[in-house]
This record gives sequence, C-alpha cells and structure tokens, in this order.
Amino acid sequence: MKTKTDFPSINERKPDGQGDGGQAYKVLVVDDSMFVKKQISQILTSEGFEVVGTAGDGLEGLEKYKELYPDVDFVTMDITMPKMDGISSLEKILEFDKEAKVIMVSALGKQDLVKKALMMGAKNYIVKPLDRVKVLERVLQSIK
Amino acid sequence: MRVEYINPFVEAAFDILKEVLGNDIQRGELYLKSTSQAVQGVAAFVGLAGNVEGRVLFDMSMETALAIASEMNGETLTELDDLGKATITELANMITAQAVTKLHDLGFTFDLTPPAIFTGENMEITDNEVEALIVPVIVKQGKIEINVAVRERT
Repeated sequence: MKTKTDFPSINERKPDGQGDGGQAYKVLVVDDSMFVKKQISQILTSEGFEVVGTAGDGLEGLEKYKELYPDVDFVTMDITMPKMDGISSLEKILEFDKEAKVIMVSALGKQDLVKKALMMGAKNYIVKPLDRVKVLERVLQSIK
Repeated sequence: MRVEYINPFVEAAFDILKEVLGNDIQRGELYLKSTSQAVQGVAAFVGLAGNVEGRVLFDMSMETALAIASEMNGETLTELDDLGKATITELANMITAQAVTKLHDLGFTFDLTPPAIFTGENMEITDNEVEALIVPVIVKQGKIEINVAVRERT
C-alpha cells in the first residue's frame, strides 16, 4: 500500500474551522459556566477551530483578549457573568480593537441585552441551549 | 399563590428539557403545599425579588441529576462533580431565563439570583407565609419537581 495520495477521496472537505491556508481560526471562549465553556469548546474544536483561551468572567475575558491579540480571530461572550458582564466586556474589547469579532452567547429571554450588544458592534449571537449546527453557522457567518 | 406564576416555569422547563434531553416528557399533577416539604437529593435554587418575590426550586434525586448531567455532557458522570453541578446550574439558568421573559410579558418585574445548587439527604424547605406550587415533570432520566413559592410584594 502506498500513501493515501494514491486514493483521492471525493468526500474530503476542509473543516470549517480552518481558513483557506489550512490554519485554524483561533477563538477565546468567555463564560462563567464550566459546562457551557466545555460545550462551546467541543463543538468548535470538532470542526477544526483552535480554542486559544478561556475566561470565566468579562474582566478576565478582556485581559485575555489583550494578551492574545492579535493571535485571536473571534470571541464567544456570555452575557450574564460576575465581575464584568458580557456587554461591558464587549465594549472594552471593541475600544481596544475596533475590528474585534465578538459573538454573544445568551439564554432565551435576554433579547434586549442581545440587541444592545449587536448595536454596540457584536458580530452575531447564539441562543442557549446550544445547537451544534447553529453554533457553527453563526460563527462562520461572523468570521467570514 | 396564583397559578400564573408557575405556568411560565413549567412551559419553559418543557421547552428546554425537550431540547437538551429529547422528546419524552410528561407532566404530573400540580399540587399545593403550605408546610415544609422534603427536598430530593439535588436542588437548584433561584431567588426572585421585585414586585413579586419568592423562590423557585428545581428538585430531583441524585440519580436523576447524574443521568441528566451525563446526557447533557455526552459522557457518563459517576459523581456530581464541578462539571455536573455546573451542568445542572446551567439547566436551571436556561429554564428560568425563558420563564422570566414570559412573566415580564405578563407585567411582573423582578430580578433573579444566579442558581445555587443544594445537595444532601433528608433536606426539607420551609417557606414562611407562602404556599408552594409543585409540578412534577417526568423525563426518561427521572422526575424533576418544579417547586415555586412566589407572592406579590406588599
């Protein structure tokens, strides 16, 4: 048996989490719930994204973003968190980097806050419970 | 206690549980209690304060909590560790967030505390001067009791 290049596959597809050059998109996951952090990370890494950092509140999220910058392509940001909420963190991240791509993650019932975040410059939003297909769809819309 | 307070929690619980656990959900008979009630092994507690005040409890056995947390994580949890507790907390969060929207639409305004998780045996809860309405919800992992004790602030 030779290398697999001898058998071109018609099904091969680049994972959605990788850019045209094959490099993984880098994400910072900000959420105070260990469960949600794990869920988002699993969904994204399964599609080839690279989770380069996680944070448990908005302040830590802001600090991690500054630390990682410019090696971070987008952020998933919970809204309700201790110390600094997701809206304030979004605002500060955009002050630091007006090109930042931040995707809000919210439970149903926070429509007003989601609207506010979108008006302030968040790229998109995801509603919990998280659905794999929807998460990937929203993320890809936001980074392309 | 007015039944309007509990319905949004039951509806929200149905929606969220259906989405995270699958379709097999049944509703048990609603009942009212004005004295102390036994709490099963795991309870997620959310406080409400505003023009209505009180608390909501999502109450289940340890086995049920483990089975639900395992299902939501896609892996078998054998003890309710930090991840398991975070999972049940998140479940309570999603349900209350959705219920609150419905209650706000009905004109009730209040804030919520973040969910706290109680675990243990032989626990009971007593609500002074507020009756609790309880709706059991049966999923394939077991029974969750949605226990709401809320009153209008005077």
